[in-house]
Amino acid sequence: MRFVVRRILSACGVVLTLTFVTFLLARVVPSNPAAVYIGPRARPEQIARVRAQLGLDDPLLVQYLTYLRDTVTGDWGTSIGTKRPVLDEILSRLPATLELIAVAMTVAVLVGVALGVLAARHPGGLLDGTVRILSIGGVSMPAFWLGLLLQIVFVGKLGVLPATGRLDRTLEYTQPLREVTGFHLLDALLTLNAAALSSAASHLVLPALTLAAYPAGLMARMTRATMREALEQDYVLAARASGLREGFIVWRLALRNAIPPTLTVLGLTVAYALTGTFFVEVVFNWPGIGLFATQALLNVDYPSIMGITLLAAIGYLMVNLVVDVVHARLDPRVRLT
Amino acid sequence: MTTVPADLLAAGAAADSAVTSPFGSTLRRAGRVLRRDPLACLGLLLVVLLVAAAVLGPWIAPYPDQGRGVADVSSRVQAPSAGHWLGTDQLGRDVLSRIIFGARGALLVPLLVVGLAVLVGVPLGAVAGYRGGRLDELLMRVTDVFLAFPPLLLAMVAVAVLGPSLLNAGLALAVAWWPWYARLVRGVAQSLRDRPFVEAARAMGVSQPRILSRHVIRNAVTPVMVQATVDLGTVILAAGALAFLGLGAQPPAPDWGLMVSEGRVSTMTAWWISTFPGLAIFLAVLGFNLFGDLLRDVLDPRDAR
Repeated sequence: MRFVVRRILSACGVVLTLTFVTFLLARVVPSNPAAVYIGPRARPEQIARVRAQLGLDDPLLVQYLTYLRDTVTGDWGTSIGTKRPVLDEILSRLPATLELIAVAMTVAVLVGVALGVLAARHPGGLLDGTVRILSIGGVSMPAFWLGLLLQIVFVGKLGVLPATGRLDRTLEYTQPLREVTGFHLLDALLTLNAAALSSAASHLVLPALTLAAYPAGLMARMTRATMREALEQDYVLAARASGLREGFIVWRLALRNAIPPTLTVLGLTVAYALTGTFFVEVVFNWPGIGLFATQALLNVDYPSIMGITLLAAIGYLMVNLVVDVVHARLDPRVRLT
Repeated sequence: MTTVPADLLAAGAAADSAVTSPFGSTLRRAGRVLRRDPLACLGLLLVVLLVAAAVLGPWIAPYPDQGRGVADVSSRVQAPSAGHWLGTDQLGRDVLSRIIFGARGALLVPLLVVGLAVLVGVPLGAVAGYRGGRLDELLMRVTDVFLAFPPLLLAMVAVAVLGPSLLNAGLALAVAWWPWYARLVRGVAQSLRDRPFVEAARAMGVSQPRILSRHVIRNAVTPVMVQATVDLGTVILAAGALAFLGLGAQPPAPDWGLMVSEGRVSTMTAWWISTFPGLAIFLAVLGFNLFGDLLRDVLDPRDAR
């Protein structure tokens, strides 16, 4: 428990520092933030008005404290691109991104762990070689390119899957999906909308596969390494000697001990997924945070960039926190360091 | 002059010889790994090809002018053929020539990024890990903040603020990358601090900068080199991603990520325009990943599979 509290406190410290960094990036690095705010053809008196409105004439410390207060109270500024509150923009797009990441990570963990275990059972064999090629190929693949390739094959040549978006357009007229949570799969299940469920699922296949390639490769590599170590332990030998079934030994005994080190890799892969989703969303025109973020980055939409950065960093810290806590539960040695 | 106990001298000598294994035996070990592992050969081959394309680009590209960006409107969007092995893009430029010209940037950017990250991260990590105390604490908190961002996101934000260009993309990636090296070398330095040969050097009155450079950093060379090789690939991937979004090299530069993005509008009709530059990125990254594995097997046999 003390371990968890300590980790949360240090994460809070990091978030506080991060707010300072994003603040510096947005307010201090650009030579004239107010001009950026209005646009390239702003008149001097307009700039002066916006400077006053944004509080840019106050001392930096005052500006920073105001920014902190606004951030905590939910005022994340107004997007320059869409003229809507940044927090609204982010929250309305969050489910789409989370749905994509959740499906992709589930696929990645299942496939990666399974491949890693299979490869570790017969080191040096054909399967081991194949898994090694797949995993190293997966981590070398640019996500944006893999997405295009999948589109060319499954949409262009085979025509079996949709290329972009989250749902069929025609669905709006035939069987519109009622939004409950914003997660389309979940909403379709809750409202018993079979047409929407299959449409949402088919739209998810290609983006999720694209996003899963890198994490799956990394998980497979790590699981193989930790499984090989686990399978060489004395307790495995003892279990074999006492006649336990091989399947039980591999999947229940050894895997349980091989999982904790792989968990730390999971944290890394989620970090990857957080940025990987930017490219996947651009390629598949997926209406989530990533698509919004790339537009904000290209338009130098400071309030949106600050908001997204803060959100991504908090998300990343939370994932690492959860991983560390679970890791500590599974492996008591971690708590001591 | 005080006499130095013989066992201390022996410890120092042993440490030195452990660090600098004779070059010949390293080569022999490399030969053994290459014979045993076809994937290691592939890695070596891909890296050699990339370097060759980067150095010899203007001489081996079939259409050097088009490689530099000169358009040829008479041959727009042609599928791969004998005249244009990998087809032509929307401006009629030979895709193969553009890819060969792109090799230079694809190699220089990661070298710059990883070089900067190593130059900053390694000394900081060595000093912090060796000295410990408040300095170490400070460095770790600073790296905490950097590592709290996914590195690519940090780079994207930095480029957006600085303005999109190849140089800014490189600098931004270096900013995101150095803490990883600082952490890596700090770990090595910490584990060395109380080892007998370092203690011996301290006892003999060797100055701190000399201990750091002769013992601490020398021992960190292998892990740093392996990490740097793999990172060269990762940075190619990251730079490609930035360019794909429009946050890296700008047209008409023959940048692979940019070329994928330029071909995106016509993926369904002219698949070759974005497919081949993307393949180039994939092969370059794959090459460095496999080459990194090879280096680790050769330089650090303890870790061998």
